[in-house]
Amino acid sequence: MCEAVGARESLSCQAASGVLEPCEVLDIGSCDKNGGIRRLVLRAPHAAIHALPGQFVHLRIPHFDDHLLRRPFGLYRCNSAAGTIELVYQVLGAGTQQMTSLKVGQKLDIIGPVGRGWSCAPEAKNVLLIAGGMGAVPLYPLAEQLKAQGKQVQVVLGAQNADLLVFQKDFETLLGAENIPICTDDGSAGFHGFTTERAAELLKKSSFDAIATCGPHLMQRGVALLARKAGIPCEVSLEERMACGIGACLSCVVETTAGKKRACVDGPVFKADEVIWND
Amino acid sequence: MTKALDKNSGASAVNLAVNVGGLSMKNPVTVASGTFASGREYAELWQASVGASSEPSKNVNPATELEALGALTTKGVSFEPWTGNATPRIAETPSGMLNAIGLQNKGVEAFCQDDLTWLAKNAPELPLVVNVCGHTVDEFAPVIERLEQETVVDAYEINISCPNLDCGGMALGVDPEVAAAVTRTCRAATKRPLIVKLTPNVTDITEIAKSVEAAGAGALSLINTVAGMAIDAKLRKPLLARGSGGLSGPAIKPVALLAVHRCYQAVSVPLIGMGGIRNATDAIEFMLAGATAVAVGTANFADPLVALRLADEMQLWCESQGVEDINELIGGLLA
Ligand SMILES: Cc1cc2nc3c(=O)[nH]c(=O)nc-3n(C[C@H](O)[C@H](O)[C@H](O)COP(=O)(O)OP(=O)(O)OC[C@H]3O[C@@H](n4cnc5c(N)ncnc54)[C@H](O)[C@@H]3O)c2cc1C
Ligand SMILES: Cc1cc2nc3c(=O)[nH]c(=O)nc-3n(C[C@H](O)[C@H](O)[C@H](O)COP(=O)(O)O)c2cc1C
Ligand code: FES
Repeated sequence: MCEAVGARESLSCQAASGVLEPCEVLDIGSCDKNGGIRRLVLRAPHAAIHALPGQFVHLRIPHFDDHLLRRPFGLYRCNSAAGTIELVYQVLGAGTQQMTSLKVGQKLDIIGPVGRGWSCAPEAKNVLLIAGGMGAVPLYPLAEQLKAQGKQVQVVLGAQNADLLVFQKDFETLLGAENIPICTDDGSAGFHGFTTERAAELLKKSSFDAIATCGPHLMQRGVALLARKAGIPCEVSLEERMACGIGACLSCVVETTAGKKRACVDGPVFKADEVIWND
Repeated sequence: MTKALDKNSGASAVNLAVNVGGLSMKNPVTVASGTFASGREYAELWQASVGASSEPSKNVNPATELEALGALTTKGVSFEPWTGNATPRIAETPSGMLNAIGLQNKGVEAFCQDDLTWLAKNAPELPLVVNVCGHTVDEFAPVIERLEQETVVDAYEINISCPNLDCGGMALGVDPEVAAAVTRTCRAATKRPLIVKLTPNVTDITEIAKSVEAAGAGALSLINTVAGMAIDAKLRKPLLARGSGGLSGPAIKPVALLAVHRCYQAVSVPLIGMGGIRNATDAIEFMLAGATAVAVGTANFADPLVALRLADEMQLWCESQGVEDINELIGGLLA
């Protein structure tokens, strides 16, 4: 991880806990037809400057005081010059529902940037990213970084259906459509089937020397298995329920070969081989 | 004495200092065990957040972050390492949360090496309460015996009340005889202040309170979490891997206030009140019910600076109400 980020390496070498930063909503919007996936742009200069690919923020939702916990969201695009960060979230439960009523200019606060991001074997030259659903969020800044380093990158982008392929445009603009194999569960766009099936095909055709994945737990487990069979180093980004988001409460632990680790500050990115996948 | 007023004039006349069964605290604020680890993560966040904050941080002095607390209370420590429960370990519930962490900790030896070494170096002046847990009556004293070698430790909080372990906390804390037996073995192992932390999951908490007081407890902490459950209807499964857990946060504040109020009438040792405290008013309510000190737990998760600010806010409350000594508030409910 350290080598991959150049100037900011000292930060990434530690279990990185964030800073409490007041921020302001600069822009909001829908990403799909039904408003089920939304973007949120925040003025958060500290997070914008210090964020590393794969890190997240722990957000306190305003006017939500009967709900005590913050909500974790991956960092999508950060603009360090403008001091802004962009989150993309799916509306699922009470918290994300409440977030849909956020207004431009509204104040809130985040703890961020939190966690250990991607290391992605610095010597790798040809990298395969596999994104399922909202798992594309933390993989976007990684793709940006790998591209800037002059590496070959392909991104398998999966979603339930064509309408939910909200990240396709951004990834295609970044890497060219030929490097973004698409798949949907219902076949409404691209390959009809799961990202793991599409990835297995690609692994047969070309030789990758690193894999990174984020998405549903089962998918990540499938990718980890593929990577192990192919003998390719793989990283995963795990979602656990979080309370403190700074490593203090032990809510978010992940079972690893080195014992229990905290997803918030020892992760969320882990080496696939280190994770014990029995559930 | 709080930093904000130190800086301004030192003119405040409010005395915030309290004494909890021999533990002197410069203000009544501590943190609830298990929500704050051993303080390092929050200390680092507090320190780092001062620079990042765009709001004037008049209450935040980066040199003394942790020492803004009257005392620090650590996560539960057992003799051997405990691995805790499977995940999901938490669930959000209305105005509260359930947890079933299962007292995961690395055991007293590693705790001394890592956590106490860090605290001795970084917060040497901070009164330190180590929360001690065990599965059986006999497991507590060995933890204390090891901690007796560490000069940085000031007091013990004995967790006989954790509802998370099949053979541990719950069983010990619900039986007045067993609770007293644990208290006696701990009392025999140390001369330091001994605080016993009670569970609300009993028929009559005053019965347990009287029993542990008679067995040598110098103070009581109330309350630990309230046993509870949350269910995902669609999945037809509990939200916690362990099935049930302990409820904390504002949802339990009325339960906690009553426990403090009743124990204040039943025993004469000082009480540390906790359960849903989020601000100075909450804290003052606990003192009026009978608490000498207060602990902030779940609220740290939403507002990680709350424990840092609380003593200053309590001081302002006292000033606004003409209270000169915060000890006046203890059990100060009007008839
Ligand atoms: C490190 C990390 C990064 C994430 N990044 C993104 C992202 O970029 N975009 C996105 O849409 N979602 C992301 N998630 C998932 C997101 O945090 C949850 O969808 C969100 O917390 C749901 O909140 P809610 O109130 O709508 O749901 P509710 O079900 O009402 O939430 C109840 C509780 O469960 C927790 N919870 C529910 N689902 C999840 C989950 N999948 N993971 C962790 N906790 C959960 C909530 O935080 C809350 O504490 C991320 C999760 C983690 C751990
Ligand atoms: C995540 C979590 C972990 C806890 N761990 C412990 C513990 O190790 N020992 C203990 O005595 N109490 C533990 N507790 C209970 C708290 O110390 C406190 O008694 C309770 O949460 C009520 O206070 P609150 O509502 O302010 O959180 C824990 C509570 C939470 C939420
Ligand atoms: S969320 Fe508290 S330790 Fe990870």
